[in-house]
Amino acid sequence: MGAAPKKTETGEQQIPRRSFLAWMSGVGILGTAVAGVFSTFVFMKPRATYGQPNRFTIGRPDEFPAGARMAIDSKRVCIVREGNKVAAISTTCTHLGCIVAPSETGFQCPCHGSQFDVDGNVTGGPAPKALSWYQVTLTPSGELEVDKDNEIQTGTYLSV
Amino acid sequence: MWKDLLDLPRNVWRSIFRNPLPSSDRGRAATSFTNFFLHIQPVRVSKQALRPSYTMGLGLISFFLFVILTVTGVLLMFYYVPSTGMAYDRMLDLRSSVAFGIILRNMHRWAAHAMVAVVFLHMCRVFLTGSYKPPREFNWILGVCLFLLTLLSSFTGYLLPWDQLAFWAITVGTSIAGYAPLVGKELKFLLLGDANVGQEALLRFYVLHVVVLPAVLTIFVAVHFWRIRKDGGLAKPEPAALPPAAAAEPDVAAAAAVPAAEPARRFVIQGLVRGPLVKVGKLEEDTVFSWPNLLIAELVVLLLTIAGLLAVSYFFNAPLEQPVNVMHPPNPAKAPWYFLGLQEQVSYSAFWGGIGVPGIELLLLVLLPFIDRGKQGVGRWFARERVLANSVFLLFVLINVVLIVIGTFFRGANWQFVSPF
Amino acid sequence: MRLALAVLSLVVLIGSGVVVYDQFHSRWEDNQKAYFNQALGLAKTPAERASLEARVPKIEQTIVTGFGEQRIDRCVSCHIAVDDPRFTTEKQPLATHPYSEAMGDVLRNGRWERRHKFTDFGCTTCHDGQGRGLDRADAHGDDSFWPEPMLGYTMQDGWKKEISSHLHGKEYMQANCARCHTAKDFAGTPLVARGRELFFKTGCYGCHRIEEISSGTLGPDLTEVGKERKLDYLWGHIVNPRDYTATSIMPQFKLTDEDRKALVIFLKSRRGSDLTESDTERFRLKSANVTPALPGVSEPGAAAAGPALTPAARGEKLVGDLACMSCHKLGDRDGGISPDLSYEGLMRDQPWLMDHFRSPRSRIPDSNMPAFGLPQADFEAITAYLLTRTTPPAAATPADTFKTLCVRCHGEKGDGKGINYLYLDPAPRDLTRAEFMVSKPQERFIASIRDGVAGTSMPAWGKSLSDEQVKGVLDYVWQTYVKEPRRQLKPRKVPEQNPAPTSAESIGRGEATFMQRCTGCHGRKADGHGPNSMDISPRPRNLRNFAFMQHTPDRRLMESIEYGVEGTAMPSWMDYGLSQSDVGDIVNYIRSLNQTGK
Repeated sequence: MGAAPKKTETGEQQIPRRSFLAWMSGVGILGTAVAGVFSTFVFMKPRATYGQPNRFTIGRPDEFPAGARMAIDSKRVCIVREGNKVAAISTTCTHLGCIVAPSETGFQCPCHGSQFDVDGNVTGGPAPKALSWYQVTLTPSGELEVDKDNEIQTGTYLSV
Repeated sequence: MWKDLLDLPRNVWRSIFRNPLPSSDRGRAATSFTNFFLHIQPVRVSKQALRPSYTMGLGLISFFLFVILTVTGVLLMFYYVPSTGMAYDRMLDLRSSVAFGIILRNMHRWAAHAMVAVVFLHMCRVFLTGSYKPPREFNWILGVCLFLLTLLSSFTGYLLPWDQLAFWAITVGTSIAGYAPLVGKELKFLLLGDANVGQEALLRFYVLHVVVLPAVLTIFVAVHFWRIRKDGGLAKPEPAALPPAAAAEPDVAAAAAVPAAEPARRFVIQGLVRGPLVKVGKLEEDTVFSWPNLLIAELVVLLLTIAGLLAVSYFFNAPLEQPVNVMHPPNPAKAPWYFLGLQEQVSYSAFWGGIGVPGIELLLLVLLPFIDRGKQGVGRWFARERVLANSVFLLFVLINVVLIVIGTFFRGANWQFVSPF
Repeated sequence: MRLALAVLSLVVLIGSGVVVYDQFHSRWEDNQKAYFNQALGLAKTPAERASLEARVPKIEQTIVTGFGEQRIDRCVSCHIAVDDPRFTTEKQPLATHPYSEAMGDVLRNGRWERRHKFTDFGCTTCHDGQGRGLDRADAHGDDSFWPEPMLGYTMQDGWKKEISSHLHGKEYMQANCARCHTAKDFAGTPLVARGRELFFKTGCYGCHRIEEISSGTLGPDLTEVGKERKLDYLWGHIVNPRDYTATSIMPQFKLTDEDRKALVIFLKSRRGSDLTESDTERFRLKSANVTPALPGVSEPGAAAAGPALTPAARGEKLVGDLACMSCHKLGDRDGGISPDLSYEGLMRDQPWLMDHFRSPRSRIPDSNMPAFGLPQADFEAITAYLLTRTTPPAAATPADTFKTLCVRCHGEKGDGKGINYLYLDPAPRDLTRAEFMVSKPQERFIASIRDGVAGTSMPAWGKSLSDEQVKGVLDYVWQTYVKEPRRQLKPRKVPEQNPAPTSAESIGRGEATFMQRCTGCHGRKADGHGPNSMDISPRPRNLRNFAFMQHTPDRRLMESIEYGVEGTAMPSWMDYGLSQSDVGDIVNYIRSLNQTGK
């Protein structure tokens, strides 16, 4: 039956074939279990949600004249155009999540009075940090696309 | 302190697994007392019980299918919505946008159909080996209840995809229920929550399918397993010749008789087991330790079940027909396959076919162990002494199978006979 | 056992591995990766290149809420280049969606601007298909369970090949354009307009109701037929209704394939609600209960533009506008479905025609002509016109006369299968059935031809043929179709009048006997639709055809019952134990069924 069997503490014989099979079975079962757990986590993470998408187009550049500051409340974003540069600034207040409105000096939050300048930096009120800037790209068909999953540094514009 | 840190992994492991893997008979016997999951197993189990040709593992397969159904079912619950407006769309999403959605749904569906079939076959095995005889009468009744619960679970789940197949099958099934005398109409209204199948029915069936029936099933399964242990394990034939002394000895299942080679542990009586039993210290010839033999057998059955289910689910998609259209019943509108025999019978007589005859069959099944009190032929397939009982049973099985086959393949539009070829 | 365990656990491990691997390599991911690679090659700036390299395949979807119930369209997950103008020459699925001025797209500064943005419209709003699907078969609606396969593109498995071959083409999408662009003359939906035109020109409006368009009641309501039926059913049902509904009385209209396509597109656009209306708007329109006006029909009494027409001239115009010739024959147009009206001025009179217009079944109880709900004045005009058709058929040989007047119903072979036999009830007599023909006296046939058969479509040809011509035709029929020599018929002992007096008891007994013996063929309602009726030829008579019954003397009824009718399935009930008084009771019962009706 192969190599001489080893002896265990109680003097019983360890059979190599048996332990090999046991080891194989262990690998198989454990491997399947790991695959199962992994698959379960992949399953649980939704690949498509039913709410508003985070990447959306907002129109062509010429729909935003120079100097425009257009707040799109349904998307919680404000489109800013300076000359030939376009940016998208989040209008979700960094304090507790209300929608801020554009004001003469920048943005103003109606809930707890947070104030932001035109670039979204905090100038007053309880907000802890600046409003996010989202990546804006130009799609091949010539439309502006905002990607809220991609935050960029304040002051980064897209040139159109 | 530094040594404690180095020893940490070993100490963590040891705190969980307090006993080493057994390497002696005593160790193997002890697994039934040292592990939560293994303590349902007896210390020793008869060799016959382990033989595939005896039980074909049908009971185990049923149980494992139930576990698989529960696991896949819970996972599916993260995406399914029991609303008439959303259910079908969510089924479409499970098929497309949800990762592993399609394989999970397939597994759930095929496991459900398999469970109904396997539970039925398990019942046949128990009957044909005479394993319902005393002291196992109550366990048989529990089994019949489990069979009904399985059918109900499958039936309630059938509605959830909310497609034409589901809607009209349940319309037919609940209408059959409505034929019950006295309580029929009330029962149907209770099930549907409304005059017709609609949002209320969907919600009720969902709750039944997902909470009520699994909970009740679990309890019944637990008692069913408990009873197997207390009845002395799986039924086996009387030993050919037993010295009278041995047969009359008092029964003690505990390991109290184990010579204390290591005085560290002591065991007390755990309970009394009836019937011809296994005694530690006075080993019978045809038994083996549960560890690892029973465990290996169970794992083999589990893996076979999973392998078969995975294969079927990978290659065959569960059906999803058109979205519900309440104006357009399909012609013919067929109940799920396990109720097609009933539907065929109903086409001859509404009451007798749907309630009367099935009721009588059910009653016979339940009363079986009290009608058939003969002690002969237990633990053997097709025992000569039980030829009458076996023949009658097989006749009923054959009739029901034929009815289902007719209902499935030979009935077409307007429930007219058609040729399936 | 241990070996089995080891082997099985490896099998399960491998199986799980396969399943897991499969899930991570979907077609849509491959398509997206191919797009990223190609776009990388076309990238112009480093920033663009960087963002493309960073992109991973992700399910792309549009949630469309503006058009009926919420949809989720995931088509873009494979068709990822749909809005990228650089991919116009690529093969699907990476091709750009076409731009065209017909769809309202605008070419500005060398760049196309899409009118129907996909973020607003999704894809399935126009194309149909299954938006939630992520593999080709699911998404395109290939599965025959999916009710909305992609229009003009997807042919489902169950569809007949000869029908599928007609259903390809983008023009089928016009049916969906019409869900918003409901204006009748909208430039983008010419086939919908043509289909609507044909709906009137072919006479469909007479039998079928479509909300706000027509109000026929003989056939099913087609207001939502586009929602309920797929293209193959619509096409196939027009080509041959009896392929889908065995007992349908819908005629097979003469149409070219182009016509059929337009009709199918028009019908597919009928979904019961258009996407521009709100629910309140629909309710308002419904409650207003406006009777749809038929095109080309002028209001009675309205001052017509141009010179005032005589009633007959107006009638002629109406006959053309109202598509009478999509069924009937008149002049040089022939629908091939209904009787020839060329001699109507001779054959019918004003009261008959007016009654028939008001309700065809008041004169021919089993007619399949719908009651067009036209104003009285229109009926009068058409009647006036028809009454001008008084030129008798040319005096020709009996063979020619038969060919001109009789073949249409009785068929070229004289077997009762003329071009319109499917639509006549009772069906035209099979003249080749010699056993029947030789069992009846000549006088009966002469009378049938000369005076017609009341309650049926057999008119009184004596009004346009001379007695000699009538006899000549009968002789021709005998020689050509019956082919057996005339027989001397034995006299039968049948009383002229029903000897059983009419009384409640007699009728009661007759009813009991009828229910016992006669319903198998004649039906419980005595309308000729018993369970055996579909299997015998000629069909059992409708005993409630009051016009026919009125003109049938007791003697004939009693003879038919007692002696049976040779050459048909009507047995001789005398041989089955019915006495003459039983037969008299049955006749009383039948008469009692025909009290009402003009």
